[in-house]
Amino acid sequence: MSFEPPLEKYSVKIREVAWGHGEKTVRTGGENALPFHYFEGSLPNLAVLALEIVDIEPENWAPELIEQYQDVVSSPAKWAKKCVDFCGANAVCLRLLSTDPLGRNASPQEAAATAKTVADSIDAPLIVWGTGDEEKDTQVLTEVARVCAGENLLLGPVLKQNYEQIAKAAKDHGHGIVAQASMDANLTKELNIALCKFFPGDKIVVDPTSSALGYGLEFTFSIIERIKQFGLADRDNMMLMPILADVGVESWRAKEAKLNRDQGILWEAVTGLSFLLAGANILILRHPDSLRVIKEMITEC
Amino acid sequence: MALKGADILKKLPKTNCKECGFPTCFAFAMKIATGGAKVEDCPHISPESKAELEAELSPPIKLVTIGAGANALVVGEEEVMFRHEKTFFHEPGIAILISDKEAEEEIDRKLKKISGFDFERIGQKLKVNLLALSYDSGEKAKYEALVRKAVETTEMAFVLICCDTDVLFSAAALCAARKPLVYPIGKENLSAAIPRLKELKVPAGVYGKGLDEVIEVASALRNAGIEEMVLDSGPKNMLEGVRDNTLIRRSALKKGFRPLGYPTITFPCFMYKDKLKESLAAAAFMTKYAGIIVLSQPDEHFLLPLLVYRFNIYSDPRRPMTVEEKVYEVSNPDENSPILITTNYALDFFIVSGAIEEAGLPAYLCIKNTEGLGVLASWTSGKFNGEAIAAFFAKYSVEKKVKHRKLIIPGVAKKLKDELEEDLPGWEIVLGPNEASDIPKFLSEEWKQ
Amino acid sequence: MILIGEELNVMSKKIGQGIKDREAGPIRECVAVQVKNKIDYLDLNVGPVKKDPVGTMEWLIQTVQEITDTPLCLDTTNVAAMEAGLKICRKKPILNSASGSTESRQTMMPLAGKYSCSLVLSVINDTGLPSDADERAASIMDSVAYANELGIANEDIWVDPVMMPVSVDQRQIGAYMEFLQMLPDIVPGAKSLCGLSNLSFGVPNELRGLLNRTFLVMIDRLGQHSAIVSGYDEELSRLVKGDMPEIVKLIHQTMDAEDIDVSSLSEKERQYVKTAEVLMGRSLFSSSWLEV
Repeated sequence: MSFEPPLEKYSVKIREVAWGHGEKTVRTGGENALPFHYFEGSLPNLAVLALEIVDIEPENWAPELIEQYQDVVSSPAKWAKKCVDFCGANAVCLRLLSTDPLGRNASPQEAAATAKTVADSIDAPLIVWGTGDEEKDTQVLTEVARVCAGENLLLGPVLKQNYEQIAKAAKDHGHGIVAQASMDANLTKELNIALCKFFPGDKIVVDPTSSALGYGLEFTFSIIERIKQFGLADRDNMMLMPILADVGVESWRAKEAKLNRDQGILWEAVTGLSFLLAGANILILRHPDSLRVIKEMITEC
Repeated sequence: MALKGADILKKLPKTNCKECGFPTCFAFAMKIATGGAKVEDCPHISPESKAELEAELSPPIKLVTIGAGANALVVGEEEVMFRHEKTFFHEPGIAILISDKEAEEEIDRKLKKISGFDFERIGQKLKVNLLALSYDSGEKAKYEALVRKAVETTEMAFVLICCDTDVLFSAAALCAARKPLVYPIGKENLSAAIPRLKELKVPAGVYGKGLDEVIEVASALRNAGIEEMVLDSGPKNMLEGVRDNTLIRRSALKKGFRPLGYPTITFPCFMYKDKLKESLAAAAFMTKYAGIIVLSQPDEHFLLPLLVYRFNIYSDPRRPMTVEEKVYEVSNPDENSPILITTNYALDFFIVSGAIEEAGLPAYLCIKNTEGLGVLASWTSGKFNGEAIAAFFAKYSVEKKVKHRKLIIPGVAKKLKDELEEDLPGWEIVLGPNEASDIPKFLSEEWKQ
Repeated sequence: MILIGEELNVMSKKIGQGIKDREAGPIRECVAVQVKNKIDYLDLNVGPVKKDPVGTMEWLIQTVQEITDTPLCLDTTNVAAMEAGLKICRKKPILNSASGSTESRQTMMPLAGKYSCSLVLSVINDTGLPSDADERAASIMDSVAYANELGIANEDIWVDPVMMPVSVDQRQIGAYMEFLQMLPDIVPGAKSLCGLSNLSFGVPNELRGLLNRTFLVMIDRLGQHSAIVSGYDEELSRLVKGDMPEIVKLIHQTMDAEDIDVSSLSEKERQYVKTAEVLMGRSLFSSSWLEV
């Protein structure tokens, strides 16, 4: 009576996206099995854990977070460096809040210069993120693409409303993109179809839009699981892109996260781990301890 | 592998005799599939087919009850690998460990704290379900004293963790009416345990080193007529636990493999000393099929995220989640602050309230109960029209909260504007943005007060 | 296939205004076009009208019955308006709709018994919308049994499985087709009705017709008795009234997963094939389904 464990094998794999350049290159995706199912398939690339930095004085951040970074918050380059060298981040996400038209409304040129400085100062790949304002992001991200040519950044968020220009600039200057659709598998597919008409499919990462623990987490969780199923099980070519989850900004917005150090870290780490278990390949986090603890646990043998 | 009506039909006589009360055998089969009829209602089915059907119809994962009365934990009878396929049905139980080696005051403190926990979210109670009482002292009297104290001072249900079979069952006898889970039942103590399990009628916590051993022990128990058990395959870390739980769930659901057709019990408390890691492992097991999760200590800051997480993952994706109807105050509004209104569909609430908070402008957010329907659907069904909103305003005395008379409504509800101008005389109805994400821009540009 | 034209709807700007002003012109125009397209019933949707629902229903029925004999389908949640309407219909009308919910059983369903009309009975019950075919079956069997007790025979019941938008939950399309085929066995003699336009809710306007028409052909094959459709869509009517047999054949072949040489097809035919493919659930729906 020998028990045969019921293993499941898929005949396709998630597209592998290479970003960063030279020695900083990182590969994302490439798996042909469900998250952490090393026992039945191949998952060649560990999840990429990125820490988020912003290019203005952080507003409304939990005191716990400010404490971690107060020696570096005034310099994006220093901050990025600390994230990589000291906090163990595999990548950095630079959120260009200075460009917010309702805030400082910094110019695309200023933002691009910051991005270049940050890219040059770290030994890790860089994600550059706009503010979500469709028109401003178009100007900003296309300029960032141009100025950082060759860095092979991941640029986001790329939306249905502005993908043509940003993806073209990304293509011209050798970057990848993060295509964002709001919690809807059909829209995710639609955007990918539109992009793949002119943009390489193996340089697209998708972002289904994250919600935090207690504030809609289960919607994101199930969308991510479904995207993975459409890709691996149903072999839908337009759903085989790796997945990114922007966890830090959402989790630390929760009032529960700000009340207590451990609770805050767990609020973020549980959200992040949940999305990894669903199938996310890249996480953007804020607290170095969330990153550390997730990293240690997913690399255990 | 829940049987479908079409599969059930194959074993029925297919004469459409109507004696079961349904017009056709197919209709009868459909009712059996959804639990509205029993196989035995058919007077003409053969005894073999009846036995086969009843065996196939029994849920692939056994329903197990630990405890009794209002505080009983019920786990099992799950049907899917992914919550989006249908839903997860029974939330895993959270158990907190108390060792008989601890000082009396510490034991008292923990018992009081754990049984006094009162977490709530969106009107739902989030429960810590079980006490895990662990035998570490080596002294039978001490362990029995701990169990007695737990019985006397709490109403909770128990997991008894004790490596000495004799002590385990004499402790179980002290609280048998509360149906404690007795753990571990493994290869070594099977023959001693079986008669005691049958006598006390308590569920068994099976331990096996790896899946093969679990199958061996579970099969022996099944053959001896023991029906309720939970399984522990002894994984040593989070990833192994995810693997084992997944394979056990798959074996039960997709292969109908009965020896693994039981809920699992997991022990993050023994896997990790670091409390953050223990909590993360617990979250991972909640995501991946665990029936019981045992934690090391009752710290509310580590517990709350897990309780909320369990609540989120086990919510039914088929039913819209709703939030409480009321006038929410965002960032301390005053009499000059803007008033917005929308439905009580949880996702919309989170997005809209999040957007308002981001705008940094204090505001009142009126949430109207529409039973989870979104703006347009609830307007069509009369739950979010002029009349209904006017009634809301009266009920919650909205007029008294502000000096101005402007109400911001969701941009997609254009038809609502005209109705409200009639039903809320004296109020200016302002059409807000179509997308919640435009609320910050809208409030800072359009709201001039 | 019985077609019920949906264009007389208070939510439409022109018709809504006409109803509000008691202006017969737009109503008559609308009726004329639908009748020309061989619509079998006219749906009168006064849905969420607040002012004088009874008077509105009566006026609308009178206005329509002045110019046509086409039987009517009365569409409102207002019980008083429904009853007033049922009283004055010349030909046997359809009551659209009742459900298995307690409230509907007590207020709407009995009207069908009282006025001997046809009854649209949806699968919705007190717990909401059933999530798969088996649950729909359980729900409708209970509702139909209750209706029988009120003196309403299966032959007068038109079961509505409730059409969900393909962009919201594609799996419900398969559940719909599965449930449809169960009907003769679980509620023998009962008919079926589909609110077809819901299928394409949320899809860009220019693509909605194609989705609706394709699905209608598919469920026609599976035994669908009637559908509430766009009364202005001439091609839809032609498709199910036997005027476009080649397209219908292609759709059937797609349903059966037969090999079709797409290169030999016209653009229109290719679109119908692709649409049938996606409605069969063979790939994830997106609004760009024709481009893949």
